[in-house]
Amino acid sequence: MSAKQRIDGVAAFLLHSHPYSETSLVLDVFSREHGRLPILARGARRPRSALRGTLIGFQLLELGWFGGGEVKTLAKAEWCGGIPLLKGRCLLLGYYLNELLLKLLPREDAHPTLFDSYAEAIGALANGADDAPELRRFEKALLKEIGYGLSFGHDADGAPVEAQQRYGYFIERGLIAIDDAEGFTLSGKTLLDIDADDYSDPRTLSESKILMRQLVSHQLGDKPLQSRRVFIDLHEL
Amino acid sequence: MALPSSLEELIEALRCLPGVGPKSAQRMAYHLLQHNPRGATRLSQALATALDTLRRCERCNNFTESEVCSRCQSSKRDATQLCIVEMPIDLNTMEQTHAYNGLYYVLMGRLSPLDGIGPRELAFERLLSRASDGLVKEVILATNFTNEGEATAHYLSEMLHARGIKVSRIARGVPVGGELEYTDAATVAQAFIERRDY
Ligand SMILES: [Zn+2]
Repeated sequence: MSAKQRIDGVAAFLLHSHPYSETSLVLDVFSREHGRLPILARGARRPRSALRGTLIGFQLLELGWFGGGEVKTLAKAEWCGGIPLLKGRCLLLGYYLNELLLKLLPREDAHPTLFDSYAEAIGALANGADDAPELRRFEKALLKEIGYGLSFGHDADGAPVEAQQRYGYFIERGLIAIDDAEGFTLSGKTLLDIDADDYSDPRTLSESKILMRQLVSHQLGDKPLQSRRVFIDLHEL
Repeated sequence: MALPSSLEELIEALRCLPGVGPKSAQRMAYHLLQHNPRGATRLSQALATALDTLRRCERCNNFTESEVCSRCQSSKRDATQLCIVEMPIDLNTMEQTHAYNGLYYVLMGRLSPLDGIGPRELAFERLLSRASDGLVKEVILATNFTNEGEATAHYLSEMLHARGIKVSRIARGVPVGGELEYTDAATVAQAFIERRDY
């Protein structure tokens, strides 16, 4: 391996991991500078591996790895701290964010802005905010990064969204001004707020949640979200 | 050159073991056939017998040969305490402590939302009805301190509380005999967050 292929000190989150051979793990990592990538953590499942207390989901890590192939090899992992562990409902929402990245974000493209949104959303969840604006900002950032260019400031015909008007969202078409109240509609103000990343209005927060869910579902297509199914099952018991 | 089909089948079969890839499976197969045919016979018989006779205990969900295992039947165990663990190996660890004399329920897994393992897959309903037998006064959650173990503990505690059952969670922190200097930072951080009056 050449020195060039050695990467060090990269901020990253662990999204998911799978056992590999008897004692190792393959990590699915979301790093700030190198995007999503698989990294082999040799010996991570050994009983006294130091990695056990380090490779924790929803915690900011600093990773180093080497290798030029598709799967890198972990060289170094440090726990950075500063984010309390997620609990309860917030933990389940954390899994939802991870699953969105796993299902929608292609591997090995750097998305530093999205990484920062993710870190902020995880931070909000760690502080117990299960309905935080950071979650909506993350969803919006994700949709933008995967090339879904919905403009919240303009309707399907390119006309500027008006605060007083109500709009419906139609797959493949976009936002259309609607006057009757059938189906899900949202206010122009909500759309302008989303565009401006301003979630101070409670109605913006609640309407944007429904809109984002529709947009995300559309992107997922027929890939069902396991974490959402588990979440629903849990809340039915 | 192709391998004899029975050898190929053996190698393929060994691969169902966790962490066993094609190479180790081949090594195991040759070892058994060449160096330890008696061990191989014993293994195949033990496996067949185990599959034939073992089932899940009706009360604790652990493997047993009878409908209800001997621990669950024992009058020496305290039926007012029920400890929930993820796997049988965790139950064995709890037993080694000699600190606990209640009964157990083995989940045989943990919530794993990204792998689609939820309350249905883990048969939470069964556990909830076990804990509601009228005798159990306290449920002790001894799932792992991983994110998945924590999610499992959280939801179980909500469901058990809703049924009026007292719930506790085993504590975590710096290991016994542990020095801060040699304890990983994440453990010390959590021990600090969860510090208690003293
Ligand atoms: Zn039993």
